[in-house]
Amino acid sequence: MKRARQDIISEVRAKVPALNLRMNGEPLVYLDNAATTQKPSQVLDFLGDAFVIRNANVHRSMYELSDLSTTAYESAREKTRSFINAPSRENVIFTSGTTASINLVASCFCQKFVGRGDVILIEGDSHHSNIVPWQIAAQKAGAEVKVIPTDVMTGGGRSGRVAVDELESLLSDKVKILAITQISNITGLHNPVGEIISAAHSKGIPVLVDGAQGIVHSPVDVQAMDCDFYAFSAHKIYGATGVGVLYGKKDLLEALPPYMGGGDMVETVTYQKTTYAPLPLKFEAGTPNFIGASSLLPALEFAEYLRNGETGEAVKEEEKEIIAYMLDKLSAPGIELYGKPSAKEEKTPIFTFNIESINAGDLAQLLDKMGVAVRSGMMCAEPLLNSFGVTSALRASFAPYNTLEEARVFIKCLERARMMLS
Amino acid sequence: MTIKEIEQQIVEEFSLFDNWMDKYQYIIDLGKSMPVIDEARKKDENLIKGCQSRVWLDCREEDGKLYFSADSDAIITKGIISLLIRVYDGHTPDEILESEIDFIDTIGLRSNLSPTRANGLVSMMKQIKLYALAFKEKQASGDKYSVEDVQKNVIRALKQVFDPEIPVNVYDLGLIYEIKVGEDKNVFIKMTMTSPTCPMAEDVVNDVNNAVSDAPGVKGVQIELTFEPEWDESRMSEEARLELGLM
Repeated sequence: MKRARQDIISEVRAKVPALNLRMNGEPLVYLDNAATTQKPSQVLDFLGDAFVIRNANVHRSMYELSDLSTTAYESAREKTRSFINAPSRENVIFTSGTTASINLVASCFCQKFVGRGDVILIEGDSHHSNIVPWQIAAQKAGAEVKVIPTDVMTGGGRSGRVAVDELESLLSDKVKILAITQISNITGLHNPVGEIISAAHSKGIPVLVDGAQGIVHSPVDVQAMDCDFYAFSAHKIYGATGVGVLYGKKDLLEALPPYMGGGDMVETVTYQKTTYAPLPLKFEAGTPNFIGASSLLPALEFAEYLRNGETGEAVKEEEKEIIAYMLDKLSAPGIELYGKPSAKEEKTPIFTFNIESINAGDLAQLLDKMGVAVRSGMMCAEPLLNSFGVTSALRASFAPYNTLEEARVFIKCLERARMMLS
Repeated sequence: MTIKEIEQQIVEEFSLFDNWMDKYQYIIDLGKSMPVIDEARKKDENLIKGCQSRVWLDCREEDGKLYFSADSDAIITKGIISLLIRVYDGHTPDEILESEIDFIDTIGLRSNLSPTRANGLVSMMKQIKLYALAFKEKQASGDKYSVEDVQKNVIRALKQVFDPEIPVNVYDLGLIYEIKVGEDKNVFIKMTMTSPTCPMAEDVVNDVNNAVSDAPGVKGVQIELTFEPEWDESRMSEEARLELGLM
């Protein structure tokens, strides 16, 4: 017999203790998942245990405790590999987050392959992590950063969608790398990543995909996508903070110079010369955040549980209803929603908007007092927000464990706050 | 009332509310009823930048006491500012500098003061004390300067103000007809424009006002704009004429 969706969703929520918190006396409605997600018990237990039964430095010692630690670390790497369908563990590098992953590529790739007069192409809907590292690297190399505009920048619309038709003219011989975003943390729109990558590849230009939001809201197969680099953070997909992943194609990773020097990334060291360890350790200098990184194993298992079987079906149904409900409510007069989809499939449950003549920070403060946690401000995407002509906005971002009922509470509280502030 | 007494009064007012939403409604109402700041005063130099809301704060002195006006694009921030102004308004720089206010904490708005909220409140409290410090130093320095010193300082300041269309300062251009420095170090300036239809007149007068106000020893400034007699090139200094290639 098929179980009711309600029961399945309740079961999901029971696995995430933070969802039962109360804030300011009200049940917490946590809608800041694009910033970070709440953790399921299986991750919490795993982390707690790790400090007792798997706490020894990885890759270096002969004793059993160290073996247990190294095994957990490498099991998480294997889990990550299969989760994104990378060909080998050599393609999966642990970093401290999406930002660190992008910085690594920006720094090492530009040092080797980018020179004076070259162009690095980024996207107009990027967050700061996929803009600033490129600016820094470009400055060092004497290169220029150019932007694939959004429809807001070209005057073609107000959705914040990347204007893919501009791409062809921007992909000149001077472009050495293209850094794009799978799903914008402001608009919540899926970018046509496949189309962009094949356009770039037809000119021999490698592509980095920022998957900070993408990894949460869509299945990722890096081989099918054919991206050259893919970056994401563990904490946005139910894992520990301070851990990120960089996927890279093997030949590219091997061609790059090392990023940081230190222990674990070396083969032999003399005072004069060092040879580097093979992939992936070449890019993991020093003691890695091995306990945090190991949490990717239970975290990605939880992500799979949310995607597959009857749970996956129930979560997908709920999400569809949340998106339809929110799009309807946020199309009310006086509200501007950034990232209106032209087709349903394009939209993930990330909703960034402003209410006419009301400050987003004011709304967020009142919502907080009603137990609703949302983000206000720039969301680390100042250029995109500015292109909409605003300096701040309100963002409600849902995770697969959020419910339609929570969306209703959010809208009710938003209406109350709006009334108080009008 | 002293700063402490006003604080106490605010704390008592807030103790009447037993839930958050009522407290916030009160703050929102305060924000809405706050006098609107003069647009001319909402200039960038008075802007205190925060992440989520913008706050402008202006300060003037009268008889040794400071008076503040402010604005923000966030109404809750504005409401809290109005409480701050109520506490500080009409007090001397010394009283403000010595005060340790804690009512924001006491009435439960502490989170508004956390730096991560970044709504400008922390910077604003700092700015209020900075204004107090600046006015205090100015008062102290006022006694140091003679009327002649102040006269020289005013001229030096005027030489830093440029006509928007001619690359010569207003003093050498001969736009300043009269400078009177009183015993109380209040400064009176009579000035003109190169043409009665000058579209930038207001900006130039503002610039002169700001420059002279900031000159060491100056207590207050009063400016009179006149077109009698009308300005002509003969009023320019030799330097000015040289600069413009008229000599």
